[in-house]
This record gives sequence, C-alpha cells and structure tokens, in this order.
Amino acid sequence: MKEIRKSYSNQAFETEVLKGIDLNIEEGEYVSIIGPSGAGKSTLMTLLGCLGAPTTGSYLLDGQEVAGMSDRALSQVRNEKIGFVFQAFHLLPGVSAFDNVMMPLIYCEKPPKDAKDRVSESLAKVGLAKRMDHAPGQMSGGEQQRTTIARALINRPKIIMADEPTGNLDSHNSAEIMKIFDELNEEGKTIILVTHDPEVANHGNRIIKMKDGLIDSDETL
Amino acid sequence: MRTLRNFLQALRGIGSNRANAALMMLGIVVGIASLTVIVAVGEGVKNKVLKRIANLGFGPESFSVYSGAGRLFFKKAEDPQSMTLQDAEDIRALPTVSIVVPRQRKRLQAIYKKNFTGTRAYGVTPEWVIARDWEMEDGRFLNDSDMRRKRKVAVMGATPIRNLFADKDPIGKMIRLDDTFFEVIGVLKEKGVTESGYDPDNRILVPLTTTMSRLLNQTHLHSIRVRTYVPETVPETMEAVTEILRRNHGLSALAADDFRYVTPAGIMQWVTEQKQAMNRMLALISTVSLLVGGIVIMNIMLVSIRERVKEIGVRRCFGARRLDIAQQFLFEAVLISLAGGLLGSFLGFALSETSNQLDLLPATITWEPFVAAFALCALIGLIFGVQPARKASQLNPDETLRA
Repeated sequence: MKEIRKSYSNQAFETEVLKGIDLNIEEGEYVSIIGPSGAGKSTLMTLLGCLGAPTTGSYLLDGQEVAGMSDRALSQVRNEKIGFVFQAFHLLPGVSAFDNVMMPLIYCEKPPKDAKDRVSESLAKVGLAKRMDHAPGQMSGGEQQRTTIARALINRPKIIMADEPTGNLDSHNSAEIMKIFDELNEEGKTIILVTHDPEVANHGNRIIKMKDGLIDSDETL
Repeated sequence: MRTLRNFLQALRGIGSNRANAALMMLGIVVGIASLTVIVAVGEGVKNKVLKRIANLGFGPESFSVYSGAGRLFFKKAEDPQSMTLQDAEDIRALPTVSIVVPRQRKRLQAIYKKNFTGTRAYGVTPEWVIARDWEMEDGRFLNDSDMRRKRKVAVMGATPIRNLFADKDPIGKMIRLDDTFFEVIGVLKEKGVTESGYDPDNRILVPLTTTMSRLLNQTHLHSIRVRTYVPETVPETMEAVTEILRRNHGLSALAADDFRYVTPAGIMQWVTEQKQAMNRMLALISTVSLLVGGIVIMNIMLVSIRERVKEIGVRRCFGARRLDIAQQFLFEAVLISLAGGLLGSFLGFALSETSNQLDLLPATITWEPFVAAFALCALIGLIFGVQPARKASQLNPDETLRA
C-alpha cells in the first residue's frame, strides 16, 4: 500500500480520514490495527478489504493493482481472496447457519461441486457441526460469531479481516473466537484484526497503532 | 447460472421478509382480483343473453315485431296497443315472407279439478308450430278450423301438463283458463329449463281468435313473428314491414315508430355494445389499480432496502457484484408481483364462483384473464422493480457496514 489517501466529502466540506498511509503486509502475518475512535482504523480496513476505492494512491493485493478496478473485478477479489468477520455478525436473518455459510459460494465465478461438503467442513472447523440448521436468532452470540468465521472461510481465502470480532461477546466467548483466529494463522492465513481491546491485539505478531489518519507506530513482536 | 442463483436468493429474500412481501402484494391482489371478476361477469352476462336469444327460437331468417315503442324487450313498451291483425295480413302479403304468426299473450292461472298452476297463455295461429319448429308429443296442434270457429281448445307445454295432470292422460280433458273451459287437444315436446332459468315449456297455446274473444276481449296484438324464405332478405323485409306498419298506424313522417323489432342481430348488437362499454371501464379500472399496485411495490421496496442495508452490504463483502444485487431485487419485485397476481386470480376466481352460486351476477370463467394477469404482473414487477433494484445496487459495501 502506497501513499493511500481517503477523503469523504460531505456537502460543503471534505474530510480527509486517511492522510497518506504506506503499509506492507506479508502473507501469513497476524496484524492487529489499534487506535482511538476516529483514527481511521475502519476506513483503512474497508480499503484493505477492497470494499471501497482510495481517493488517491495505489494498493497492490497479491500483486494486483486494486485502485481503479471495476466493480466486477473488485467483487471477484473480495469473493476469492478475503473473508470478513464483523463485530455485529451480519448474518442473514431467518436463514439457517448452513445457508449463511453457503452464501459466498453463490457469487463465485464457478461454484465448487462439493459446496455442501465444504459448508459442513467449514462449520465443523468452528465446532458448529450440530448447529447447521439453526437460524441466527436461535444461536448464542459466540455461536453466531463462529458461524461468521465459517462463512469467511468457506471460499478458502488467503486473508481474514475482522472488525472488532469480540466487541459483542463476553470474555469466555472472546477467548474461544481468538483461539480460532490463532489456529487459522498457524495454518498460514493472513489475519488482519481491527480492535480497541489491547488483549485481543496482543494475539497478533504485529501491532499497528493509528492516530489521526496516519500510522503512529508499527511494531513486530 | 449466476442469474439462477440470484433468483434463488430473491426467493430467500422474500421468504425472510414475509410481512413486507405481503404488504407489497396487496395492491396487485386487489387489482388482479377485480380484473378477473369483471371479465368473468362480462362473459357471464354475454352468455346469459346469448342463451336468451336461443330461447326465443329465432333462426337467422326470422324476426319479431312487438307493439309499442322501445328497445328490444328490455324496456316496457310505451304504447302496447298499436298492432292489429290487419298489420299481420299486410305483412303476410309481402313477397319475401313465408310465414307470419300474430300473437297475443296473457299471464293467467290454469285450473284442472283441484290443481292449478301459473302460466302464460298465447293466442297464436296454426303456423306457429312451423315457425318455431316445435314438435308434438301427443295429440295435434291447432288448425284452421279451430281458428275459424274460435274453438275453445288448448295445446299445452310440458310444465303445466306436469303441474295439472301428473301421470294422467291430458288429451280430451277440460281445463279452465280464467273463466273459460278449454279442451286439451295436444301436448308439446319438452325442451327443458335453460341454464338461465327460463322455462320454455311453461306455456299454453290457444287459437288467436279465441283469445281475442274469450280471454283478452281485445283485438290488438302483442307481437308478430315473421319468417322469410331466406335470411338474406330479412333487412329488406324489415324495411317493408316498417312502411306497412307506419302507414297502417297513420304515423306522420316526424312521429317515432310505435313498434319495435327483436332480431338475433339486434340483440347481438346490443350485447356487443354493452360489452364494449364494460371493456372500456375494465381497462380503466385495472390500469389504475395495477399502477397503484406497482407504485406500492416500488415504495415498500425502497423502504425495505433501508432495512436491508446490512444484508446488501454483507453480500457485497462476500463478492456480490452490483449486478447481482440489482438482479436479486428485480427478481424479488417480479416474484412478488406474480405472487400477487396469482393470489388475485384465485380471489377473483373464488368471488366469481360465489357470485354464480348465490345468483348475484352470472359469471363465466375463461382462461384469458389469467394469462393477462400473468403478463401484466410480470411487466409491473419489472417496471416498478427497476428503481429499487438500482438503488440497492448502488449502495457502497463499506458504507452499508458502517452502522
């Protein structure tokens, strides 16, 4: 990532949220992004996750220039390379865990033939093999978050991005979720966490501290 | 393939937003139901009138002229005493005319011993049975001798026979019509009650001369049935009849006719006019209600997109393109519209059937309104789904997750 700037314009005035970020993340890293509210963590996350285009600058993901990509190409990148986990889970309401996990496969260029096996496998991996038919409303917060992790993993992405993944969970469930992330990292997945919680951040082996739209410190443990 | 998957997601989307979907359907359901009912009733009325024409026993070479001005038989005659036997004689003299049957009619009670029944007595001439192509079940029809001698003889339809005689042989028995006794000399073959409830067998025929002197005590006619040799001469014959009647009745050039024609073509024309008027109204009503239904779908969908920002965002995060989201919402609009159409068709079908069963209005169900409903609803869903689909697809995934 080079000289990334992102500004939002709001009628009369323009707010520059990211004021020139240079960042390089290697495959297999476990990165935590921390910082106070308004520092630009989430904005950086949306750019890293190809959810929005930077106002200026360049972003190479897996050797591919992402800035200026078409919607179609961006969608494909998100679909194949990145799995998202959100603070508020964002599961489809009224849809079973199984079908929620299946959802990213709908948008594949070529859906795998063994889709159902992959969903079962993915759910088993987060310890929800017996909860497949439950709708989000019938599951606890921890179970819902594990479902979203299963969903993020279904298309075998290289990168998992998590925005405050433990923000809505108690300490016991948080610990379990973090354990899953640790395991995923050991398997070779690149993990990028955005969090307020220093304890969660310390799971990573690299901590990026943000302040006022710039990287304040970047230390590898 | 991708489109099919978006279609399945649309089904799922409707499934998990049932309350909204039901609201969206409402306008379409009402629109399509009313369309179905109006079409069915229109058809039903037409069929009823067509059956009525069949009941009249008209062939294409026949027409009737009724005394009194007015239109067809739907309006009560204003001057029912205009036609005489002389008119019938003059019409009979026309070269194109094969048969003329002058008629009188009276509603009365027929009595045999202790049995009685309400029926219609017709005073007719012997040609009646030929003009109507009606066969005899038993006995004989009226003849010229009965006419000349004003005999008190009667030919009865199957209904009064059943009501008065049960299983007994009626031939030769004496029945009383008003205060006069008549001898039963023949029985007409039964035709059976029509679907519209008209009973052509509920009639008693007596010589016209006898009704004039015994039953009605008047000489003017109720109507004259005219039969030409070939159907092609019906228009020119009607013109000639008009001339005769106007001259005989002494009508000035400015005066309106004091008689009216009943012809199969005339009745058909009336039915067609009514149907066209109804179709124009139908087009208006259904256009308005379906437009409203479409606008309802569009607006509720626009609102529901606000509620579903998260869902759209998550789908986008996991690789849904703008086009995928647009397709999903467009499919949802079309599916909801079609479902509304299906429900509306069922409702309309049920209402038409009920109307039939309860005898409120005749309704005939045909397949056309169902096909029209399908096409219209698909079209409405497409048209009114475009705007919500566009809006949903243009949401940015990062902004949708901000909340």
